Amino acid sequence: MFQDLLPPLNDHNLPYPDTIHPIVVHFVIAMVLFAVFCDVIGYFTKNTRLYEVSWWNMMFATLSIFVAVIFGQIEAGLATPYAAAASDLNLHTLIGWSLSGILAAVTGWRYIIRLRTPDSLPAAYMGLNLALTLLVGFQIYLGDKLVWIYGLHTEAVVEAARGGLLQ
Amino acid sequence: MIPALFGELSAVLAAGTNGLPYVMPIHPNLVHLTLGLFIVAIAFDIVAALFPLEKAIFKFLAIPATSSNLYDVGWYNMLAAAVITFFTVAAGFYEMLLADPPQDVISPWGLGATDTMVWHGIGGVLILGLMVGMTVWRGFQRYVWRQDRARQVQWSYLVVGLGIFGLLFVHGTLGAHLGSDFGLHINADRLIRAGLDPNTQLMPIQP
Repeated sequence: MFQDLLPPLNDHNLPYPDTIHPIVVHFVIAMVLFAVFCDVIGYFTKNTRLYEVSWWNMMFATLSIFVAVIFGQIEAGLATPYAAAASDLNLHTLIGWSLSGILAAVTGWRYIIRLRTPDSLPAAYMGLNLALTLLVGFQIYLGDKLVWIYGLHTEAVVEAARGGLLQ
Repeated sequence: MIPALFGELSAVLAAGTNGLPYVMPIHPNLVHLTLGLFIVAIAFDIVAALFPLEKAIFKFLAIPATSSNLYDVGWYNMLAAAVITFFTVAAGFYEMLLADPPQDVISPWGLGATDTMVWHGIGGVLILGLMVGMTVWRGFQRYVWRQDRARQVQWSYLVVGLGIFGLLFVHGTLGAHLGSDFGLHINADRLIRAGLDPNTQLMPIQP
């Protein structure tokens, strides 16, 4: 019933031309990493103007990650991963959903810090920044593998899967 | 955990079939930064320029905001976009020179792999120039021409920024074709073209 509501799947196995998830994640990856960068510079140079820049970037990242997760879930559902790719896709999905909660929580804390002590960041928050950077980095690594190692949603892999060559 | 991770990594390295001297391409990762920073820079300048209209919304959301802070995001993000894009373009050219484009595939836009690569290369240099130009323009507005004005950016700057969004869309789609249609530097696609089964070749080694 629902399949009639969408255009037919193309040779990337998508109902629209290209994958959208890797585009939306620009706004999570770039904004989180730049926010942490500004925090580090601001922390050591006491340039508190940069704290405003990181706060707004974190805010934008948090709004974006929910869109990224929704498109990620749709495109994961259409990815038809072969056995070698399945466990990385599962882990990427698990961390992606978790990261949406973690990022929202960190930004929530940042909101409170900004209201109470806008000119200083607790050391614990900087520690969290480090943990967040590592987690985002690992998530990027997994997402990169899905595209650049396993080729999910690429023409060659979709064609091979449809031809029954990838079991 | 550690031996498992090592085993997996060595399997990826052993596959070594992406045509690069490292595990995965760098250019597409730097692209996240270039595009994210540039688009958000323009977006925040637009929000800042229209600030009088949004005051009530920020108040309703209980988020303290001033237009000068929003302009700071517009400026620093644009500056970072320009700096990082030098590396994005450099990595792109290096990986383009190491690519081996298939000759028998046509993209959804009717271009072959080599044509797509050449257009994406020209576009990359053009966009680098535009980003540097926009950063210089933005810097003059911020520190010289409009230092004392409430609205830090000219409307023309925002319009040009939105125009560059259109260019980025076309350029990004060409880049997407290089990956998802032509399979450049993608292990699985190259294995399939070589007549091998990526499922067996890329299966993580169980320790």
